[in-house]
Amino acid sequence: MSSLSWIPLKWRFESRLALRYLLTGGGQTLLTIGSVAAGVIVIVFLTSLIFGIRGRLTTMLTESIPHVTVKVRDLEPVPLSELHDLESAMSSSRVEKKAPQLKFIDNWQHAVDIIRTVPNVRVALPAIQGQGFASKGGNPIGVMITGADPAQQDEVSPVTKDLIAGKYVGLVADEVVIDYELAKDLSVSVGDRIRMTSSTGNTESLSIAGIYSGGRGRGGAYVTLRTGQSLFGVGNSVNAILVKVNKLFGSDEVADRIQSLLPYEARSWSREFPSFVSSLAVQAASAYLISGFSLIASSFAIASVLIVSVLRKSKQIGILKSIGATRSQILRVFTLEGLVIALTGSLAGAAIGSLLVFLLSLPLQRTARPGHPPDQLFPVAILPVYIFGAVIAAILATLVAAWFPAKRAAQMNPVDVMR
Amino acid sequence: MAAVPNALPKQVVVATRGLKKTYFGKVETRVLHGIDMEVYAGEFVAIIGQSGSGKSTLLNILGALDVPTEGTVLIDGVDIATLSEDELAHLRNRVIGFVFQFHYLLNELSCLENVLTPITISRGEASKAETSYVSALLERVGLADQVNKHPDAMSGGQNQRCAIIRALANQPKIVLADEPTGNLDSRSGNEVFKIMREMNREKGVAFIMVTHDDRLAQEADRILAIDDGWVREVDKRAHRMKLLSSLSDS
Repeated sequence: MSSLSWIPLKWRFESRLALRYLLTGGGQTLLTIGSVAAGVIVIVFLTSLIFGIRGRLTTMLTESIPHVTVKVRDLEPVPLSELHDLESAMSSSRVEKKAPQLKFIDNWQHAVDIIRTVPNVRVALPAIQGQGFASKGGNPIGVMITGADPAQQDEVSPVTKDLIAGKYVGLVADEVVIDYELAKDLSVSVGDRIRMTSSTGNTESLSIAGIYSGGRGRGGAYVTLRTGQSLFGVGNSVNAILVKVNKLFGSDEVADRIQSLLPYEARSWSREFPSFVSSLAVQAASAYLISGFSLIASSFAIASVLIVSVLRKSKQIGILKSIGATRSQILRVFTLEGLVIALTGSLAGAAIGSLLVFLLSLPLQRTARPGHPPDQLFPVAILPVYIFGAVIAAILATLVAAWFPAKRAAQMNPVDVMR
Repeated sequence: MAAVPNALPKQVVVATRGLKKTYFGKVETRVLHGIDMEVYAGEFVAIIGQSGSGKSTLLNILGALDVPTEGTVLIDGVDIATLSEDELAHLRNRVIGFVFQFHYLLNELSCLENVLTPITISRGEASKAETSYVSALLERVGLADQVNKHPDAMSGGQNQRCAIIRALANQPKIVLADEPTGNLDSRSGNEVFKIMREMNREKGVAFIMVTHDDRLAQEADRILAIDDGWVREVDKRAHRMKLLSSLSDS
């Protein structure tokens, strides 16, 4: 009895009776707590899995690409009839886009300075990007060549992280870092020399400083900015400014801002992959929907167990009222019973769910990427905010489920139930 | 109106005026036709009558568990029709004690905890003095060694004795007993009745007991009979004669 001395006297009778009902409820109490816990486990697991998958997919897609790419805008062909300075008699029967060609940002230092002032921009990297060929005696193999400062390039598309041999940071002018697949096709290793030929026809003999494996199929070749400019014969210019942002899903705003400040085209990753972004939204919506349904299902289970419990205690409720228990006291007894079930069940569910997610997040799966540590069994992410949200939602759902049987108990007429 | 013996104190603890009760179901059933009765402090009144005569309905109305269709009920001088839901609960808790045919003890609580329930309902926790008071009563009715047992581990007679002490725990003025021995064998029934009578005499609590047992009714101070919804005072001497003749016939 003294163990409840911390509870105000006004609530002590109700608290003691509610606890006693729970403690003597045995299997029924465990069943009800289990229903709440199961609901929370489902929510914790589902949100961890769906948002884990979402996180991994997004990282896989965006870690190796710029979030915003700034380039010179492609000129759109204009029909002759729309040109005012030409005679109206002239017309065009065919409108055709110009063949793609490298276009340069000459005053890129100024552009980079302006881009760096845009909020949410983390890195703005001047770079040369273009197609080329790599060869070692035999047939040339097509490759995307990127020339940029290695330290900054690592922040845009990590290369050092994926290195399986050699180095990237500290790359000098006659060196190149290539991908594992290309190295395998050319049968070369670190220290060997290969020939790189750009789409403009310039050729350089470069020493392999490092080999990386990103696990995303064939990757490109990385050289210094100076070497890139030389390969593509662009002098001191660049043809792209690669931007990385802090808030991934704010890249559209960054691109719009850059376009408003500079006479260049700025394309965000989310506009490059609109179906990917919408599928992420669908995933998130499905997580919320499944969580909601599982909460509703467990609420019904809890409500039905508590209704049966109230019906079984009808006579007890009758006698309690006949010896002076008020309606509000009876209401409190069964609401408190629901509250204890809600707290115990949701906390147990959160603990078990988190443990389950933690076990599934252990890196036990062999990776497909050579030289890399094992991957997680499931791409799950422990998200405290969702666990906390699941606990709160389950408590509210349980209280709602407990309220109706409690109200029913409070309204019971002792004469009817004891007859 | 029933006559009251001169030897008893004259303080009225229960009074009804023109009490009527009709149930409005598919068929309208009038159970009580106009009951006028008074019960005095410390009195032991037995109510007898055929099954369905309205005894339990009357007791439920006197206990503020049911409401009359017409008429007035005064409990300890208060017209219960003027009381709110919470005030009625308070009245049932502090002024009235109930004993039913079935003990209706809470299986989740021990004998002592059950007995203390009326106190914990009103005050949250029983004081040491209150616990000592009910412990002494439990000892008095032979349940000293049963206080920590739960109802399912006790006999029917023990449970009913426990229920009687629960009815007395808050030191009420009136105890309403609805066939308290109806579910017990005759030996246990006699014991339970004896205890009720002793408590009535020792504590000065008025008892109104509904019973089918003419023998127990004969032990009461007064007998009221309900016939077809009307109440009448039974002459104890005539009742005794009738009882004796029925015993000799059997």
